[in-house]
Amino acid sequence: MSKDLPQEDLLVRMQRDLKRALNKKPQDIRWGMVIDLAKCIGCHACTISCVAENKLPPGVVYRVVLEEEVGHYPSVRRRFTPRPCVHCQNPPCTKVCPVTATWKTEQGAVIVDYNRCIGCRYCLVACPYAARTSDFGEWYTADTPEEPGTLFGRQAARDGYELRPAAEYGQQWPNRAKGSSPMGNARKCHFCLHRLKVGMLPACVTSCVGRATIFGDRTDPQSLVFENMGSPRIFRLKEELGTQPSVSYLK
Amino acid sequence: MPTERYYKTLLTLAIIGLVIGFWGVFQAMWFGKGATDLGSYVPWGLWVAVYLFFLGLTAGAFLITILTYVFRVKIFAPIGPLSAFTVLVAISCEVIIISFDLGHFFRAYRFLLSPGWYSMIFWMVVFTNAMILIYLLECYFLLREDLVKWSQEEGRPARGLYRFLSFGKTGFTEADREADHRRVRFLSILSLPVGLIFYGINGAIFAILLNRPLWNGALTPLLFIVTALLSGGALITFLTYIFKADDELVHYLGHVVRFLLVVFLFLQLLQFFVGYRTGLPITKASLDIIVFGPYWWVFWIVHLLIGSAIPLYLLAVHHQNAKVVAWACFLIIITFIAVRLNFVIPDQAVYKLEGLEATFYHHRLRTTEYFPNLTEWLVSLWVFSLGLLAFLLGSRWLPVISAGKGEAKHV
Repeated sequence: MSKDLPQEDLLVRMQRDLKRALNKKPQDIRWGMVIDLAKCIGCHACTISCVAENKLPPGVVYRVVLEEEVGHYPSVRRRFTPRPCVHCQNPPCTKVCPVTATWKTEQGAVIVDYNRCIGCRYCLVACPYAARTSDFGEWYTADTPEEPGTLFGRQAARDGYELRPAAEYGQQWPNRAKGSSPMGNARKCHFCLHRLKVGMLPACVTSCVGRATIFGDRTDPQSLVFENMGSPRIFRLKEELGTQPSVSYLK
Repeated sequence: MPTERYYKTLLTLAIIGLVIGFWGVFQAMWFGKGATDLGSYVPWGLWVAVYLFFLGLTAGAFLITILTYVFRVKIFAPIGPLSAFTVLVAISCEVIIISFDLGHFFRAYRFLLSPGWYSMIFWMVVFTNAMILIYLLECYFLLREDLVKWSQEEGRPARGLYRFLSFGKTGFTEADREADHRRVRFLSILSLPVGLIFYGINGAIFAILLNRPLWNGALTPLLFIVTALLSGGALITFLTYIFKADDELVHYLGHVVRFLLVVFLFLQLLQFFVGYRTGLPITKASLDIIVFGPYWWVFWIVHLLIGSAIPLYLLAVHHQNAKVVAWACFLIIITFIAVRLNFVIPDQAVYKLEGLEATFYHHRLRTTEYFPNLTEWLVSLWVFSLGLLAFLLGSRWLPVISAGKGEAKHV
């Protein structure tokens, strides 16, 4: 069939896959992601949508897009590698936590209990992918001048964005004005578990304009993610470390 | 014993340090980790280096008590109480500085409620507490006889304190003395495995991490044990010279420190040789930061020249001169922070993934830009000053010097 004929948007298929996965027993699901590097155009929309979804403060980022220049002139191009937490199945970061504030769920997502984390940052040092960041309690509006009684100014801007609670892990986080968690904590990508719970795909998946990010239950043979994992182009970051990431890439 | 003038000068310096450093403490308490220059790619900085510095200083007592009570080297017995007291001060400073480094210090109770059995930091906390307990008891049993004696002396200032510390005991018999020395011997023997694991585990915190160019490897825990013994031994030698003025003792300690310095430099040479010859880009990049980076002088001038070559020369050529030996040890101690900084930071100062440096620019997401800011220096100054104050007051108000007299016959 010609590629020019109308095709189903991959998002629609992934949405169907997700609904099917959510009908399974939770312990039978294994979340997985495949990122097709040939489709990534380096727009950073996934980074921004993740920041907005999780109300990330300055200096905290869950999903960056690595940029490299490869080759030599005139055969030169830029390579973009989106890097969320790769959700290792043998995660080095969870084992080092002295207070068991981070662990791998039975569905394969590596998560953090913000109210248990003591902020020692050992997990940041231990992650070979630099996928964890620490919340140093910074504000985008730190240098915004105060304009009392107007629609503008620091407080108004904070009320409009930064003080809105994030919905990570299905809870209302945080009241940043009081300096409570997740300030001072280690933070990381959690596969948007709060969205998955209500049948929505992760923010980075829905915002990907090139449809380069594929997500779903990697144990479901009908799913798009399962299909892509069988590609000969598949590889994983730093496979030699034995961390067994749940996030794979297509060359 | 230091003169009154030195004592007062050091006391004044400690108080000034506490006052100035308090500004940093206030900043750290009020603004949390946001007051530091740390980031997510270099999450451990000056405070962890200072922690490791104090960790090394605690090893002095370990070295002395092991030599005295396990290997029965009688000559070191008189400095047993002084070294046990030094370890208590150093370990307290160690715990205080690392508490500042926690994002949520008030959740420290989590170590009890939800312990991470596989975490080296959890075991570090367990063994830190074990060391505190061992040396607190050891120090107490070494001082008890003099505490009881002082509590009974008419006209002695702060008699109430000594009466309290004697727990109502008014006399001290030969049987009490023997019992206390049995306890000290038992605690010293116990401290041998506990101490080796304690220093080794602190090394293992770094050694077990995957993909860390300099830290990862079996050499790291061994390096930690040797560096701890070296810096702790140098501290005890210096203090022995200041408080005891016993040239023979300083002479023997100088030999031990010289041997440890040579072993340490040899291990460091191995680390650099294997790192460079293996040629892994990430390892080479980390080593290059130490050797040729913006702070090359910390390695070449502070560590190798002032902290190693000069002390080694002095310890080898002028080993009969107690004053020179003491000052050589002083150079080792004050430059040891350079060793710790060069261990902690360069390993983190290389990007773990190619392309990470070219994306999502933020000063908390940089590597080579980390340099401890004023808050970090002030907090460190505050903790150093607190340690100095505690040491000065302890050496003045507790019998840490007098309790060592006649100790050799009990070894």
